[in-house]
Amino acid sequence: MNFPKATHSPMNTMMHRLLRSLWPLLLASLAVPALAADAAPAAPAAVPPPTAPAAAVPATTPAGDAAAAPATADSDAGAATRSLDEQIQGLKKDVVDLNKDLFMLEEDLLFPANTQVAVFVSMDVGDFFALDSITLKIDNHDVSNYLYTPREVSALLKGGVQRLYVGNLKAGPHELVALFNGKGPHDRYYRRADSIRFTKGVGAKYLELKITDYQRAQQPEFEIKDWD
Amino acid sequence: MQQQQRLEQGFGRSLALLVACTLCLAVARAEARAPADMLSRPAPDFALPAAAGSNVRLSEYLGQPVVLSFWSSRCGRCAAQLAALDRLYATYHSSGLVVFGVSVEDDPQRALDYAHAHQTSFPLLLDGAKSVSRAFEIGVLPTTVLIDRGGVVRYMHSDDRPNDPSYVAQIRALLDDRLIPP
Repeated sequence: MNFPKATHSPMNTMMHRLLRSLWPLLLASLAVPALAADAAPAAPAAVPPPTAPAAAVPATTPAGDAAAAPATADSDAGAATRSLDEQIQGLKKDVVDLNKDLFMLEEDLLFPANTQVAVFVSMDVGDFFALDSITLKIDNHDVSNYLYTPREVSALLKGGVQRLYVGNLKAGPHELVALFNGKGPHDRYYRRADSIRFTKGVGAKYLELKITDYQRAQQPEFEIKDWD
Repeated sequence: MQQQQRLEQGFGRSLALLVACTLCLAVARAEARAPADMLSRPAPDFALPAAAGSNVRLSEYLGQPVVLSFWSSRCGRCAAQLAALDRLYATYHSSGLVVFGVSVEDDPQRALDYAHAHQTSFPLLLDGAKSVSRAFEIGVLPTTVLIDRGGVVRYMHSDDRPNDPSYVAQIRALLDDRLIPP
């Protein structure tokens, strides 16, 4: 069992992030009543005492105080709002990071490196082939049947690489068969299969299905590449 | 003696009938309850081929209200349901409403023939493997599923009354909803 390295580091990171995400929340909960308490005495200060006679107080002082006090209160409130907003943004970022760590942890647990096999799809140009679906078989078992929408095909043509399949395989020789369905030249239904024999070793195995245009033959070309 | 035996046999048959009826009722109630279990749950994602046009993936319509109508050529009321939904689609399409008809036909050719015979302005999808109808726990045809902008199943109807004002009210409610930013 050699998973301590794979599982402990994300778990530690996760706990660390959890703690990091909790303390701003605690601070925020403490800050809100404190701000409310600060704001409460500020309000009477801004309003001149109603019982004070107008003539007894110099003419400039109440007007200046009244103008300065609300301005200070507004700036305090603005700063507090900004601070809260920053804390919320920080919390959101921590949640996203935590989610990423959990995803990686899940991947590590479900597909350990010593058994992991991943198949990727990439497309180039695509003048002679409009991809509709790919069926994937490993050792004569259907493992994936993926339908492509125009948006997904467009993303692939822009240079995107899709992880079509990830699974576990024991070490040893295996065979992968990929069936490509779509429209070929002259809008004709096109179905082509390609296969590869590969040996799964101790590390993760990555395979890539590449669809390219073969200009000389005016035909699409399908290739399965083994990334060692 | 024979009369007693007959009485016992009769009692036994009545009891068996009662048990069978109870079981049938329980199954029917469970089936009737199944679609309601989908309510307020995220709609299962799917990708299906369309009878005409390109493939459709539900998750690509996140942010828009989606109506799914499950139909079959063997269902007599489905044609009227699709026609009524077509009218609603014509009215609310410009507001962002998305409607898909999902066939649960075994025979794809039969589904295609039906789709060509009952032309609609929204895409008719083919679920030959019935994976989508199973995911949505469809037990009765026609069934209409209304999904909100956040991808959550909000309403389900297992009837053929799309002209019912409640449909319009629910579709309008979905259109009025604003997507909560993440």
